Amino acid sequence: MDFRSSQEPPVKKRRFFHEQGEQASSDPIAFSPRDDSPQVHKERPLGEEIDGEPENRQVLVERSANETPTRVRTQPPAQLQHESSSVTFDKDTFEAFVGANVSSDVISIIQAHCGGNLERAVNMYFDGTYKKLQKPPSLGTLIRPQPSSQNSPTTTPNSETPPPTRQDVPRERYLGAFGAEGWATCSGTNLLKHGDIVRIERQVAQTSAAKSKSRQIQARKTDVLVRFTTQQGREIGRLQRDTSAWVSVLIDQKLCRFDAVCVYAPERLRTNETVFLQLKCHFLNSAFQRRGFKLADDRSTRPFEQEETTDEKNLRLRQTAMVRLFQEVNLQPTVANEKASEGRKGLLKAAEMDEKKQKEAQKAEKPSDSTPPSEEEGQELEQDQLDALYKKAQSFDFNTPEAEPADTFAMTLRTYQKQALHWMMAKEKDERSSREPSMHPLWEEYVWPTKDVDDNDLPLFSGKEKFYVNPYSGDLTLDFPEQEQHCLGGILADEMGLGKTIQMLSLIHSHRSEVARQASLTGISDVNQLPRLGANASGVLDAPCTTLVIAPMSLLAQWQSESEKASKEGTMKIELYYGAEKSNNLQSLCAGGNVSRAPDIVITSYGIVLSEFSAIAARDGDKSWHKGIFSLKFFRVILDEAHHIKNRASKTAKACYDISASHRWVLTGTPIVNRLEDLFSLVRFLGVEPWNNFSFWRTFITVPFESGEFVRALDVVQTVLEPLVMRRTKDMRTPTGEPLVPLPPKQIDVVEIELSETERGVYDHIFTRAKRTFSQNLEAGTVFKAYTTIFAQLLRLRQSCCHPMLVRNREIAAEEEDVNAAADAATGLADDMDLDALLSHFTVAVEEASKDSNQTFGAHALKEIRDESEKECPLCFEEPMNDQLVTGCWHSACKKCILDYMRHETDRGEVPKCFNCREPLDKRDLFEVVRNEDDVDPETNKPRISLQRLGANTSSAKIVALLSHLRALRKEHPQMKSVIFSQFTSFLSLIEPVLTRANIKFLRLDGSMAQKARAAVLREFAEGQGFTVLLISLRAGGVGLNLTSAGRVFMMDPWWSFAVEAQAIDRVHRMGQESEVFVKRFVVKGSVEERMLRVQERKKFIATSLGMMSDEEKKMQRIEDIKELLS
Amino acid sequence: MALPKRIIKETERLMAEPVPGISAIPHEDNLRYFDVEIHGPASSPYEGGIFKLELFLPEDYPMTAPKIRFLTKIFHPNVDKLGRICLDVLKNNWSPALQIRTILLSIQALLGAPNPDDPLADDVAKHWKADEQAAIEKAREWTRTYAQPQPQPAS
Repeated sequence: MDFRSSQEPPVKKRRFFHEQGEQASSDPIAFSPRDDSPQVHKERPLGEEIDGEPENRQVLVERSANETPTRVRTQPPAQLQHESSSVTFDKDTFEAFVGANVSSDVISIIQAHCGGNLERAVNMYFDGTYKKLQKPPSLGTLIRPQPSSQNSPTTTPNSETPPPTRQDVPRERYLGAFGAEGWATCSGTNLLKHGDIVRIERQVAQTSAAKSKSRQIQARKTDVLVRFTTQQGREIGRLQRDTSAWVSVLIDQKLCRFDAVCVYAPERLRTNETVFLQLKCHFLNSAFQRRGFKLADDRSTRPFEQEETTDEKNLRLRQTAMVRLFQEVNLQPTVANEKASEGRKGLLKAAEMDEKKQKEAQKAEKPSDSTPPSEEEGQELEQDQLDALYKKAQSFDFNTPEAEPADTFAMTLRTYQKQALHWMMAKEKDERSSREPSMHPLWEEYVWPTKDVDDNDLPLFSGKEKFYVNPYSGDLTLDFPEQEQHCLGGILADEMGLGKTIQMLSLIHSHRSEVARQASLTGISDVNQLPRLGANASGVLDAPCTTLVIAPMSLLAQWQSESEKASKEGTMKIELYYGAEKSNNLQSLCAGGNVSRAPDIVITSYGIVLSEFSAIAARDGDKSWHKGIFSLKFFRVILDEAHHIKNRASKTAKACYDISASHRWVLTGTPIVNRLEDLFSLVRFLGVEPWNNFSFWRTFITVPFESGEFVRALDVVQTVLEPLVMRRTKDMRTPTGEPLVPLPPKQIDVVEIELSETERGVYDHIFTRAKRTFSQNLEAGTVFKAYTTIFAQLLRLRQSCCHPMLVRNREIAAEEEDVNAAADAATGLADDMDLDALLSHFTVAVEEASKDSNQTFGAHALKEIRDESEKECPLCFEEPMNDQLVTGCWHSACKKCILDYMRHETDRGEVPKCFNCREPLDKRDLFEVVRNEDDVDPETNKPRISLQRLGANTSSAKIVALLSHLRALRKEHPQMKSVIFSQFTSFLSLIEPVLTRANIKFLRLDGSMAQKARAAVLREFAEGQGFTVLLISLRAGGVGLNLTSAGRVFMMDPWWSFAVEAQAIDRVHRMGQESEVFVKRFVVKGSVEERMLRVQERKKFIATSLGMMSDEEKKMQRIEDIKELLS
Repeated sequence: MALPKRIIKETERLMAEPVPGISAIPHEDNLRYFDVEIHGPASSPYEGGIFKLELFLPEDYPMTAPKIRFLTKIFHPNVDKLGRICLDVLKNNWSPALQIRTILLSIQALLGAPNPDDPLADDVAKHWKADEQAAIEKAREWTRTYAQPQPQPAS
């Protein structure tokens, strides 16, 4: 039994005593009833029971070892006086303790009742119990135990006096009784009858026993047989498996002793017949030996345990058995943590699940099942669960106070970093020493029963009315379980890029240990002044000035340079503890006597920690020779990239747990990588009670989570995290709406697009009809009825601004949710001859242009044309030309300039002539220069060009504009990435071939793609090299995406509200964006799009009032909008 | 309306590399409006004269030609009493590739080579055709009278 192994010397005596008392203990009545004590001690403050001081215990044990419990009550005080004269009662000492003269009446009463024990006497005096003793004692059994809330521990003035010795601790104590079934293993008459006392014993596994089927299943598992015998020792039968499963554990782990009374047995007992028993449970004294939390992990003795340790298993068995027991005997805690009581259900569930798992493993019976639990335990978290968790854990309050870093810190902190500094300093300084002790949240308080199951009075023991159970560890104690010290550190889990390192360094500067402060004040270091621990048993020396930083090897240099940068000259001594320069005696460098010379920061790697740990482990934990990391108790330890220890079973994790430090911090951007267990390891490292207990963690978090109670599990995780974690993300905004880290600027420009004549024709046609429909309906007052029709027409109008061919594609109607597809038919688009004619005109124009685009030019001519383009445009003086256009007479200018000029001339009835040679110009004899940026002429190191007849790729004015922007961009920034948003996926489809022709690499992301494909596209976009364009549908790309690798955004068409567009733009312009973002919004001049911008503008102002509008009002507003759009 | 890049560039270049004998300075309050001075070309009746002109760049410049007019009285067959100039590049032969500089050079050239066959001022053209010497002398006289560097009332 592991829990015994670490006890103080008295343990052995206790066991000896235990055995000695064996024969007497079988009968609870053997405890001689004592009638004067109950009410006396009931009133005793709980605080007096708290001890844990080994000396006290020693006294107690020595004494009890020499006494038989049965004699305790009647033992005259005299005998005790020999043994422990220091605490025996005499008047003078008593008065000295009490600090007052006490009347002789009182003294005599106390003397009579204190059993010669001074502490008891003092206690009785102060708590006033002696007064009651003057009255004849009432029946103790009638007095109900008081809820311990009234007994909440108060530090009484006499707290320095040692608590009362437990001379009266019983060897075992009755807990309760419960009914159980057993089955007979023998047959006979009158073997057992009602009221017979039956002994309960553990059955040692026997080969003959494994006969029945049920037995065989059992046999595979640990043997759990419990048999019952007559008082003479003859075996009658065995307990049902269900019961024996947990009863056996309690017996095996020396927690309880059971005896039983037969309730019913058939007169003629046959094998396999059922016998009804009433089991009485007695807690053994040994159950209350303190085991302490940490032993459960058994870390120092077996550092490289890979699977659930034997201890963990024992613990699990013990804890579930304990819970079952309390359930069976129906004992309710008088004080329990709310959360804890809930958790008890969880405990049983945990047990069930384990059992199930085990069974499944057995069924499979494959050797591969022996994979370490660390592999299979803990389901992976789904992304959304993780998100939910983070969201809960990161409810960062922007009003938290800030702290200014120390003068020695050479950098300036942002506001949120100062807040973190304040938080971290508060965490480190929170000793909580002044707080009143409160009960540990995991423990439950129980009151010993005062009557047994047959309503007989039970013996009562002074000052021992209560006991405490920790249902998670299965620990029992008689001592008040005090909430232990809080963790003096935490988890800084800010997202990457928010400056975790800097914040940590500011903490190192701003919170130095007392010793370090003194040393820096006086400038001398007197060894004698220092609280020197000396070479204690483990050989660990204090390093009160040193912060140990453990980081992945690749980050060591960064830590070193950052910490130098962050410190004013000469204010920090930084030591790199790594590689060849590694100091071979870190201990002498940092330990106490060397304060003035000790490094403030020691930076090392996980690898070093692991190798030193392994070296110690290889010598069975002998540290005497060791002068490295494990020979020191640091002021602070920081784990950077702490997810390195996410696997609690890994050696590195265990090594890190073993580092000793006053303050412990972990830094990680991903506290949970994919399992909740990842977090456990961090908590374990921090030593946060009680969550560093794996069994507890399992019960509250893993098990509920695995059984599908995600919300509950995550809630618990949140309560764990809340006090421990500081996490801010890049997306967070201050209450005033500013991002934590300011973003580079963005510039949004509207690019006005001029529709080509044919496009204009299509547009005007649709516009006229839409306007007609609207005004007709407006007159007839049927706007609401025709709402969808009007809306559909508006949609067509907007589409025609993008590309006339979109109008033809009737599927597009379904793209916009507001539009009823049925409205499509209502608009009567299909049988509209005019529109068709216009559209075909457009098609012809495009086709004609593309006809003989393959016309070949002489290489020389091409070269000249190319050189020309480097010069300035003769018309607008732009240099170089925008979209060089070559006339039939081979003169170049910007495309726009030539076209503007030609239109100008045509408009005034002139034949356009070449601006250079006055040759008449023909629109069909204009050629665009296509630069193949990826195809460089090796001779001139300039891109090859080719000529393409104008209009060949003129699919629509917008696409042409887009293309010219992209071309110009590619020339200026050959590595730039751009994002193109459109609300019409079919428009994206029309853009694609144009990009292909222009030799521009593109990717596409829209709603129709599977999650996996999307992720692949996003990855490629983020990681790929070179000029890349990402086509995204506004709806697929509006939310969540991170496209910060792009620097340019093209909005192909406006949306009703700019907010939607802004959100899309923010995919690029968000945290992580490093340079200015340029946004181009393409809007067709003199069209519904332009008016949409006006509506957007207006909506910006009324946006706040929109929330208060009724639906009807909103509709009215919409109609106003439409009116404006069709004006 | 913002000044097109072209006009800015032209102005800058006129300042940076002025044409000998020609100056064009935009008004501060209207950058499309220029005060122009052209020196009469050597060995022409206008030699020694400094002729003031006004030049305005219309809204659709360079699609349309600049508007330009003599402010100084000049006796020239292609310039009328109001100072308007008959020059093909200012009319039908305008090309957006032409600039202020080239136009002013053309005007300077026109002073050196009057063309009475394509007149704007008929009486001047008649005079020129009838007695070229007398006409040239008159032009010289006018130049002396009106086109002297000292500021004089223009008209």
